[in-house]
Amino acid sequence: MADQKNLPPGLRDYSLAGKAALVVGAEHPVGRVAALTLAEAGANVMLASQDVGADESLKQVAKAAQALGVKAAARTQRASIRADLAATADRAVAELGGLDILVTALDAPLYAPVETIDDSAYDRVMDENFKAVWMALQEIGRVMLQRGGGSIVTITNVMAERGVPNASLYCAAKGAVRNLVRALALEWARRKVRINLLECGWTEEPGSPALEAGEFGERLVKYLPYRRLLKPEEISGALLYLASPASSFVTGEAIAVDGGLLCRV
Amino acid sequence: MILDRFKLDGKVAIITGGGRGLGRAMAVRFANCGADIVAASRTLDQLNETKALVEAAGRKCLVVPTDVGRSADVNAMVAAAIKEFGRIDVMVNNAGIGEDSFGKPIDQITDDEWRRGIDVNLSSQFFCARAVIPHMLKAGRGKIINVASGYGLRGGKHNYMYACSKGAVLQLTRSLALTYADNNIQTNCIVPGIFPHNEAMMKFFKGGKFIPIGRPGNDEDVGPLAVFLASDASDHINGELIIIDGGGLAGGIVPTGVAPGKPA
Repeated sequence: MADQKNLPPGLRDYSLAGKAALVVGAEHPVGRVAALTLAEAGANVMLASQDVGADESLKQVAKAAQALGVKAAARTQRASIRADLAATADRAVAELGGLDILVTALDAPLYAPVETIDDSAYDRVMDENFKAVWMALQEIGRVMLQRGGGSIVTITNVMAERGVPNASLYCAAKGAVRNLVRALALEWARRKVRINLLECGWTEEPGSPALEAGEFGERLVKYLPYRRLLKPEEISGALLYLASPASSFVTGEAIAVDGGLLCRV
Repeated sequence: MILDRFKLDGKVAIITGGGRGLGRAMAVRFANCGADIVAASRTLDQLNETKALVEAAGRKCLVVPTDVGRSADVNAMVAAAIKEFGRIDVMVNNAGIGEDSFGKPIDQITDDEWRRGIDVNLSSQFFCARAVIPHMLKAGRGKIINVASGYGLRGGKHNYMYACSKGAVLQLTRSLALTYADNNIQTNCIVPGIFPHNEAMMKFFKGGKFIPIGRPGNDEDVGPLAVFLASDASDHINGELIIIDGGGLAGGIVPTGVAPGKPA
């Protein structure tokens, strides 16, 4: 944990010393960065997976968080199962003694022409990208409301703002999350729960079509204002700003970490 | 350490409109994070009050009386900043005016009222960017923070100069961001909602009761956002408009305080 005692006075609003944070999707690269950022800023963290089979990576994140001097616990769960999310929220409160911050880092891309997407693919994409976020906000948000407030950061990507060919359903799901956050921000504004989005630009992470050899990846990288992909660790500043009391007058907003990509489109 | 990346130690920030309101709050917050300040505005007394606050925080403050709507003044101010500190890391384009014409029907607004507002709110940001960018290019890095307004994204009755100038600031932000993305100069825009600076404004905005979060902004709310955008913690954020308005622009298609459907 940071040497919080010697923090310059201007930086105290970004500190999370003693706060309790839950990260859902902590096995993903950006979820991992989120968890370790919160831990570095002093929060005790509960790490929950998007899906089963992530035990080992969750444990590694927990270990890295503990090495920063905070409490860290891991819980393998399925974010697409409502009962799992509710149990995770309760576990977080029990193990960390509270629940001040929620970060969701849930993602399941699908790049395919619209006429090839069958109903089972539809269900999977909408369940993982939208319904899981929806249920996490319901079940974990409920606990925050009961406890008198909190800060939520939903991590998504720039597809929440614009269309991409061969990503119709994925864009639709991300767009749905974008507007869900606006509406919930208003619904919860007077109940002291803030909710904001962090939108990643094209990110250097396993499975990204930007990393595949071929015309798409090559032309995309040249088109990006920084001419390179976002590294997951580059979201940490925006994440901490949104999660911490530094942003206490900000709700229903999205911060894109994209090097300026959305200015171009 | 993530908190260290928000530090502004050793950086020099120019803040226009630095004598009061948001500008002063940002100056003090920047100083509390380790930056030296160049405070520019028209009113020397107010600048000197800011200087005292910055110095109380242990940092240096150069005061430069400036009419930011005049490019010659802006160029002289930037030259004075370079002469004093030898560098400019952060340019905060905060100066702005409401309308003398506020509330007037369109046919009663004079050419001078229109032009003066556009000069102070919009041209000043262009003049300042134009003056600091050569120094930032030489340094190989820089941060430009433009301050717009929620009225840059929404209309208002009898609101012409202000809405137009602030809307244009968003576009200035985007074009600067794309142009200098290759040069490690990030340009971003703070979009404040309602920040009343006096009793009359507080009354006009009805104490902020129509703001979703239930209160108007305090000048101090903007400090941590400005520090974030001035710091290394925001290096991959560019051309972004960050709305700080207690949720206002997330909604707006129904009045605040009412909702369709029955309560839970």
